[in-house]
Amino acid sequence: MDNILTIALSKGTLLKPTIELLQQAGLPCEGISEDSRSMIFTFSGDPQIKYIICRPTDVPAYVEHGAADLGIVGKDVIVEQGKDLFEMADLGFGYCRFVVAVPAHMKHLTLQELNYKRVATKFPAVAEKFFRDNGLQVEIITLHGNIELAPLMGLSDMIVDIVSSGRTLRENNLVELVSIMDSTTRLVANRVSYRTKYQEVQPLIEKMQMIVKGGKNQ
Amino acid sequence: MDNRQIPKGLRDLLPQEVKNRRKLEQKAMQIFTSYGYKEVMTPTFEFLEVVETGAGKHRERLFLFMDREGGILSLRPEMTVSIARLAAMHLRDSIYPQRLFYSANVFRHVQPHLAQYREFWQTGIELLGASGPWADAEAISLAVKLLQELGLNDFKISINQIGIFNGLLTAAAIDSEDKDEIRRLVEKKDLVELERRLENLVMPDAWKESIARLPVLHGGLEVLQKIPYLEQHAATAQAVEDLLRVYEALQDYGVTRHIVIDMGVLRELELDYYTGVIFEGYSPELGYGLLGGGRYDNLLGQFGFPCPATGFALGMDRLALVLARQEEETNRYLLGGRNLRALVEKAQQLRGEGKTVEMDVEGNSLEALQEKVRGRGDISLLYLDEQS
Repeated sequence: MDNILTIALSKGTLLKPTIELLQQAGLPCEGISEDSRSMIFTFSGDPQIKYIICRPTDVPAYVEHGAADLGIVGKDVIVEQGKDLFEMADLGFGYCRFVVAVPAHMKHLTLQELNYKRVATKFPAVAEKFFRDNGLQVEIITLHGNIELAPLMGLSDMIVDIVSSGRTLRENNLVELVSIMDSTTRLVANRVSYRTKYQEVQPLIEKMQMIVKGGKNQ
Repeated sequence: MDNRQIPKGLRDLLPQEVKNRRKLEQKAMQIFTSYGYKEVMTPTFEFLEVVETGAGKHRERLFLFMDREGGILSLRPEMTVSIARLAAMHLRDSIYPQRLFYSANVFRHVQPHLAQYREFWQTGIELLGASGPWADAEAISLAVKLLQELGLNDFKISINQIGIFNGLLTAAAIDSEDKDEIRRLVEKKDLVELERRLENLVMPDAWKESIARLPVLHGGLEVLQKIPYLEQHAATAQAVEDLLRVYEALQDYGVTRHIVIDMGVLRELELDYYTGVIFEGYSPELGYGLLGGGRYDNLLGQFGFPCPATGFALGMDRLALVLARQEEETNRYLLGGRNLRALVEKAQQLRGEGKTVEMDVEGNSLEALQEKVRGRGDISLLYLDEQS
């Protein structure tokens, strides 16, 4: 049987640091780019390495179902989807955090005062869980982008979104009320691949862990 | 409502599927019977109190309804608890060990997807009244035998002793909430969160290091030597010793090429009753586990009949899926070689057996053909040498 290791990579901002990491880990990645027409890149060797370049939100699905053995994707996507994945390493890059943000004039509200308010978000599961864990009920409005528009247009009272620098919030006159959790990029594995391809997968995971830890110490 | 809908997560099986399924079940029954196991059946639903005994409180996973006297009923989510109840009620005076098997549909309120349905079929055994490594080895080797005989080409069974993990946590003296959380993280192999959790706990670094390494310890016997600071805790050391004895017994059964020691296997969280050696079976063809089982020495006691026990269940829907994929794979050939006459003969013979044969008409070399099939799961290369 041929030895193939399939890795699902996230398109977009994570792709560049991901490729750098793969290079440092000694994996072939010449010519991988999301501008290319092809979304699949195959490199011969033992094991043969195959990359799938897909939308970040699709990476967990590829890995959970075993269409990819490993995946590189943000924690934000992982928590929202709640898929059954092995989370093997924190890769450190792609930092962002989940926040509850409100229009600036509401910044003195306490969490309790948000009860029964409307929240717009791309992350309904994260939002629902956060408010429920705090004993609050909110109405969730799921949007697919430009969440910060919702309070401006009166669609919602507040938003739950990911921010990195906070610039988008400021530009839209929103302020962060509560930080829900931090997110960085993770290396995930399929639960069966991890066991059946242990010989190929485990050394790779350890290499990536070393690179990431080494980077932190410097 | 459209009268042609069926509830989410359920499905119809058509004649060909049922035929295949029955064939597998009959084969399984034959094997179980040859080991002295006898079939039992239990009711499709039980009182919730019965289901929650041992299997723990996971009501969101159950299909619940009421009877007219106000009792809460649950469709069975698995068979082991029902069989423990059955044995405690009816088989007290039998001669032990008792060997029982079943083939039954079970129900769980899960998110349905490929290979995960809300009604699915399990075939399995329970070996009641026997403790010790030979009993564990019988269950595990029977699982190997079953998967082999049912036609699985490639599979692995991961084994562990849950006492190793529990012992480490007991020694570390952490409370039960943290313990559940750490167990969940080890089982899910969420190494990132596990490391963070451990950092916040008050315990010697040595213990933290041991626990953090559990999820990635995987391999042969050498794995057992890699658990640091074992000897400092008697219960853990004893669990390791037990696992070692079982592995040795499996060597005598000659099945260790299918066995992997995997410290990350703690079995699904919905089943809380395991106490000793536990195991899970996997096929590289499928991203989900096929088979699971282990020792549960305290379960029968909860029904008033203390008795050691072990057993396993095989998911028949998943097995059927793997076998179907395997068949697709092995039924399609790319045939190459230099001697056309021999090739034609071979092709006819294979086609006669119902296989699909693509002949290489370009006279490619073996290397070139290998390159062609590389990475294709749906076809096998057959190359006829000059001599053959």
